[in-house]
Amino acid sequence: MSSVEKQAIFRDVPGFVPKRPSFGQKIWRSRADYLYVAPAILVMLVVIAYPIYYTIELSFFNTPASLSLADKQFNGIDNYVTILTSPVFWKVTWQTIVWTVLSTFFAFLLGLGAALALHREFVGRALLRGLLLIPWVISAVAASYVWKWLYHSDFGAIGAALVQLGITDRPINFIDNSTSALYSLIVVNVWKEFSFAMIMLMAGLQTVPDSLLRAAQVDGANPWQRFWHVTFPHLSGVSTVTILLLVVQNFNSFIIPFIMTGGGPVGSTQIWITHIYELAFLRQRWGVGAAYAVLLFIIMMTLGYFYVRALTRGDESRAGA
Amino acid sequence: MTSETVNSAEPVRVARRRGIDGWRWAGRIFLTLLVGFTIMPMFWMVITSLKTGFAAMQYPPQWWPASPTLDNYWRLLDPNGSVGRDFLRYFWNSMFVSVATTVLAVLVAVPAAYAFSRFRFPGRNFLFFAILLRNMFPAVVFLVPLFILMRVLGLVNTHGSLILTYLTFGLPLAIWLLKGFYDNIPIQLEQAARIDGATRFQAFFHIVMPLSTPGIIATSIYSFIGAWNEYIYAYTFLTRHDQMTLPVGIQRFFSENATDWPGLMAATFLMSVPVVVLFLVLQKYFVRALTEGAVKH
Repeated sequence: MSSVEKQAIFRDVPGFVPKRPSFGQKIWRSRADYLYVAPAILVMLVVIAYPIYYTIELSFFNTPASLSLADKQFNGIDNYVTILTSPVFWKVTWQTIVWTVLSTFFAFLLGLGAALALHREFVGRALLRGLLLIPWVISAVAASYVWKWLYHSDFGAIGAALVQLGITDRPINFIDNSTSALYSLIVVNVWKEFSFAMIMLMAGLQTVPDSLLRAAQVDGANPWQRFWHVTFPHLSGVSTVTILLLVVQNFNSFIIPFIMTGGGPVGSTQIWITHIYELAFLRQRWGVGAAYAVLLFIIMMTLGYFYVRALTRGDESRAGA
Repeated sequence: MTSETVNSAEPVRVARRRGIDGWRWAGRIFLTLLVGFTIMPMFWMVITSLKTGFAAMQYPPQWWPASPTLDNYWRLLDPNGSVGRDFLRYFWNSMFVSVATTVLAVLVAVPAAYAFSRFRFPGRNFLFFAILLRNMFPAVVFLVPLFILMRVLGLVNTHGSLILTYLTFGLPLAIWLLKGFYDNIPIQLEQAARIDGATRFQAFFHIVMPLSTPGIIATSIYSFIGAWNEYIYAYTFLTRHDQMTLPVGIQRFFSENATDWPGLMAATFLMSVPVVVLFLVLQKYFVRALTEGAVKH
């Protein structure tokens, strides 16, 4: 019987005063509990803690292209200086911001609209929800190829449709053109992930008490006022989590730009992750790539702090035992 | 008195109903456009896959194939042809890696999630956060170190390298999802079983496990889909052609020489079938579990 259970059982016995155990005693008493989490922790340690340590180390060294670790040379913060003084860094960072902000904004907006429209019970609702979720379920590789074909500069369906509808004279060059490529890819990304925002917000909508909405209606609030003053405040928690997850996911995007344009034309769709991949794996500049990864780490840890805080809000009061 | 009330309420109600109708119509129009946006690419994928290479390369395009054919699919599914042999091998590889990942993820996540939900051991919060944070990091950060780690473990060019890696990004969400389920199972049920003489394990196995089946199903779907769709590790870790999984394999296939678009579209269609079917059949578990943790009851 663990100490927790003992306390739970004797809690109501008059005169029982739980003794405050020391930290070491606490660990020893809950030794059996650790067995449950040990496999998970072990896997995570091997495959996470080690790579993080290794990446940080690599970022302070100049490692030969062969990745032969015996020949690496310490070069202090040179790798970081190289990154921050390079004009490519600022260009890629700006493109990453555009990509992340626009993708997140539109995915959230479409997801919110879909969640509100699907909130009411109607025939075929589950079917529509399933249909809208398909882009999110299929692989990004498949999505990239399909959109690449839709955007094809000679035989693409979208270009041809726009010409036939009389909107443009000639098929538009969506992804072979450095001014439109990034935005064309953002459309694909929004297509792929808006339904994630949709299901999160649909669940959030279920927590909005009907009685409050009815009360607002009786008081003469119009639909917009009811949304803005009743529904929306109730969605703030789930919205925070959703937006954070979308930001993280978009910041970490790789497959869509990598497959559709490979970062081109002339680097116009290069974002952080594709850039890191190119530096490390195509140009074998391991040190600079690792330094980039460390910077990314710092950004992600900051976001992660807010993510965990939003996620575990009220967790302590809710859990049993 | 009564008639007066009705009269005074009437205009308000009419106006209100009209207002709602306006919003409802806006919702319907929005939904229609959104569905169009969603299915248009999938529709075009299927239409293209039914064309010959020649029919696909026409301008303006044939919006409906003039002579639809299933040849592209037969070619991919023919175990005797060279294309079909490769495709079916990739398919099998993907299936093996995804199923193995799923089984292992559930086996590891169930006890961990249970412990995080029920026990209060020192370091519990720290460990839980550390696990959740795994999802914050992009694959590319782990790529080089993991590649070296796999070299040390002798797993390069084996499916083991992928299974181990997929396990780590499947686990955080699996643990989180399952913890949400365990949190919602009243602890009194277990306590009652314990008082009746069941061991902790028996109580877990006979009381908690059956109640958390929906959570386990949801976790399995999530792991499976994640593993099935993964690209970057598979692209980096596997260099041997006969080991490749579908996302990597189809790329290798069709980017050589001129791209065979109808064939590629047929391949992407076949690649999407397992996850879409799995998802649509088990949709309710998946949606429920995914949102469980984000919304407090």
